[in-house]
Amino acid sequence: MNEETKVIYEKPIPLKNTYNAPYWDAADRHELNVQKCNTCGIYNHPPGPSCANCGSIEVTWENLGSNITGEVYTYIVSHRPFLPGFQNDLPTVIAVVHLEDYPDIKIIANVLNGNAETVSIGTKVKMVWVEATEERSIPQWVFA
Amino acid sequence: MEKIREKYAIVGVGESNRSKNSGVTPLELALEAARVAIADAGLEAKDIDGFMSYSEMDSCSPHQVATYLGVRPKVVKEMFGGGSSTELLIAEAIGLIETGQVNTVLIYRSMNGRSGVRMGGGGFSIDALQNGFDGGSFIIPYGAGSPGQWFGLFATRHMHLNGLTQEHLGHVCTSFYEHAQRNPKAFFYGKPLTMEEYMKTAHLSSPFTKHDYCLESDEANAIIVTSTERAKDCKSVPVKILGMAAREVVSHAHYWKNIDEVAADYVAPQLYKAAGVSPEDIKVASIYDCFSWVVLRQLEAYGLAPKGEVGDFVSAGNLRMDGKLPTNTAGGMLSEGYTHGMNNVLEIVRQVRREYEGTDRQVEDTELAICTGWTGPDVAGAMILCK
Repeated sequence: MNEETKVIYEKPIPLKNTYNAPYWDAADRHELNVQKCNTCGIYNHPPGPSCANCGSIEVTWENLGSNITGEVYTYIVSHRPFLPGFQNDLPTVIAVVHLEDYPDIKIIANVLNGNAETVSIGTKVKMVWVEATEERSIPQWVFA
Repeated sequence: MEKIREKYAIVGVGESNRSKNSGVTPLELALEAARVAIADAGLEAKDIDGFMSYSEMDSCSPHQVATYLGVRPKVVKEMFGGGSSTELLIAEAIGLIETGQVNTVLIYRSMNGRSGVRMGGGGFSIDALQNGFDGGSFIIPYGAGSPGQWFGLFATRHMHLNGLTQEHLGHVCTSFYEHAQRNPKAFFYGKPLTMEEYMKTAHLSSPFTKHDYCLESDEANAIIVTSTERAKDCKSVPVKILGMAAREVVSHAHYWKNIDEVAADYVAPQLYKAAGVSPEDIKVASIYDCFSWVVLRQLEAYGLAPKGEVGDFVSAGNLRMDGKLPTNTAGGMLSEGYTHGMNNVLEIVRQVRREYEGTDRQVEDTELAICTGWTGPDVAGAMILCK
């Protein structure tokens, strides 16, 4: 391996399916797309075939753009890789973040470059997109 | 459930040898545990007409177990599931007995949990993990692939909001390890844990150190459930089911959706209503302990310690033998062994029977006992037992 070798993304890449494809398709364009219920008005995340709050099938998608900020609601700092690809990225901070402008939406991702000293409940973060492959990008959090 | 109060009982308990490498199949472990439980009850294999088990693609079928005990059963049932499955299967057994379809049911959990398929140890492919959970694609790509991480997300916030500290987790661990010192069959027999050692141990995944994680073991456990009426024919002291709540769930199948609720919150009111007792009446406990924090969260959920005072409750030594609620007195899954909760069921039955009378392992007051099961924050069940 030399310095010019492209870093291969070894971590699991989100699998698209019927319900989550609009979310991950938007992520590939570096945008956040969230399912919303037209009947009761809640954001339905993670997305599904109908609304988890009222059961309505009148669900649609709302594009929230690329300027996404939030606060750490809870988190863990993992010192062991429990899945492939994380062995070179320890410690790994896994955080549940509630969005500043949409507090009923919580999104789990890593806080990149975070550790036990720098991340706590309430830490302000913003969304970035890590390009895993030429086609796929993964939303992540960095310090705001 | 009020209608069947004290109408059903656990009349036999048994376990196989416990090891890190059994060298035999889960079927042989299950047969060993089943034979011990049948002998404990004073029954013969042909008296068992229902066989049930839970597993996570790591075990043997109830039909196989019945076959190699030389029995053709009337009912077999196997389910995919972990903690709290024992409670659910007991409820199913009661339903089948109540409707006259079987008389006596043997329920077991058998696994080579260390030498075979390990929990969170890579037994499932990454794609299976993503597809297997509701919203799996939203957690697996971020490295959240094991229960320690999933439950840790709940623990961090709960501890933050309720003034719980690392030391409080340590009190759960040191109390259970202390119990294990009275149990020669416990893995950590002869390996006590001091708070000083605990506090020096690094996190594997915060807020959990290796001591906060349950063990992995190769073993099988079995219990036998029948009617209290039929229990009169058994040689064992029947332990009656005063009430139970088989299996409650949280509001969303993607349980990270609301990390402030756990299924035990929903189990507790049903449980006490079914049993007709209050949390203050409970004197001894088996509390599902896949992780130390899970015990703290259940003490709160089941009202065994007041919300906001759970830390003080464990710091005061209340989980120890001389405390208000001796808990997991064989050492629990943190220090005895791990069969997705069933080893804790065996211990509480033995405590209620007063099998340890005359030794320092017998809890003084065992009139009313609680046994809880926890599959995860999302799924739980529990029962209250009496003599």
